[in-house]
Amino acid sequence: MAHPSQLGFQDAASPLMEELLHFHDHALMIVFLISTMVLYIIVAMVTAKFTDKLVLDSQEIEIIWTLLPAIILILIALPSLRILYLMDEINDPHLTIKALGHQWYWSYEYTDYEDLGFDSYMIPTQDLTPGQFRLLEADHRMVIPVESPIRVLISAEDVLHSWAIPALGVKVDAVPGRLNQTTFIVNRPGVFYGQCSEICGANHSFMPIVVEAVPLEHFENWTSLMIEDA
Amino acid sequence: MSLPKPVMRGMLAKRLRFHLPIAFALAFGAAVMFKYTVTEPRKRAYAEFYKQYDSVKEFNAMREAGIFESVRPSGE
Repeated sequence: MAHPSQLGFQDAASPLMEELLHFHDHALMIVFLISTMVLYIIVAMVTAKFTDKLVLDSQEIEIIWTLLPAIILILIALPSLRILYLMDEINDPHLTIKALGHQWYWSYEYTDYEDLGFDSYMIPTQDLTPGQFRLLEADHRMVIPVESPIRVLISAEDVLHSWAIPALGVKVDAVPGRLNQTTFIVNRPGVFYGQCSEICGANHSFMPIVVEAVPLEHFENWTSLMIEDA
Repeated sequence: MSLPKPVMRGMLAKRLRFHLPIAFALAFGAAVMFKYTVTEPRKRAYAEFYKQYDSVKEFNAMREAGIFESVRPSGE
């Protein structure tokens, strides 16, 4: 989850999010390069004592300020497209979960296992126990096995929502009448938080997503218990 | 006593010859500084983290701390 006075992204917990972090560093480096140059030129222009009133054109500078941005754009586009295609790589998910957005909660269906589904409501602030996070905790977490490719099918039952978990680099719109798919792998065990990312009404800010990644044997124990309780 | 002839032309070119290399150098320097103070340390930090990472040990520590809801601490 986010921590106080955080400036950058949350620590990555999936390989894709790591790639996105490094790409962002690359793009930001280019932003600093351009900004430094523009700032220096602005200061040089503002402090100039004379103005050349007779400069009408200059082929050389036109060539430079066409070619240089084109090269910079290519340097940004190549890693960006690499990650884009990486996201679409064929992988063989071990598990498929449906995440459905409602006003104002998420519901998860593990249809690989017969009859495992539950709703996930935010825990109200007054019901939090010490150590829990305000506006982020949910009564039932989406539990998944760690280091396994997971497919999540996302849709909505009423209005637009969006299923997002920053630490995993996932954000997918939940559109009523449409099934969107995303796949991810969680590198390490832990609890990862997200919040609904598409305005959906009064309680849009109060329908968080909590994903719990645990080793496979514990995941299977959990599914057995959940099926028994159902 | 005549005054020295003032510079009459080429002032913009002279200014550009002075300032543009500095602008490029500063910009490139800022990029290199960012690369070696942010980008490379972050890549190294992630590589080091996963080199020594023992997910079973970390999982058990988190479990005993009571973080998970699907898996309670071993005492419970």
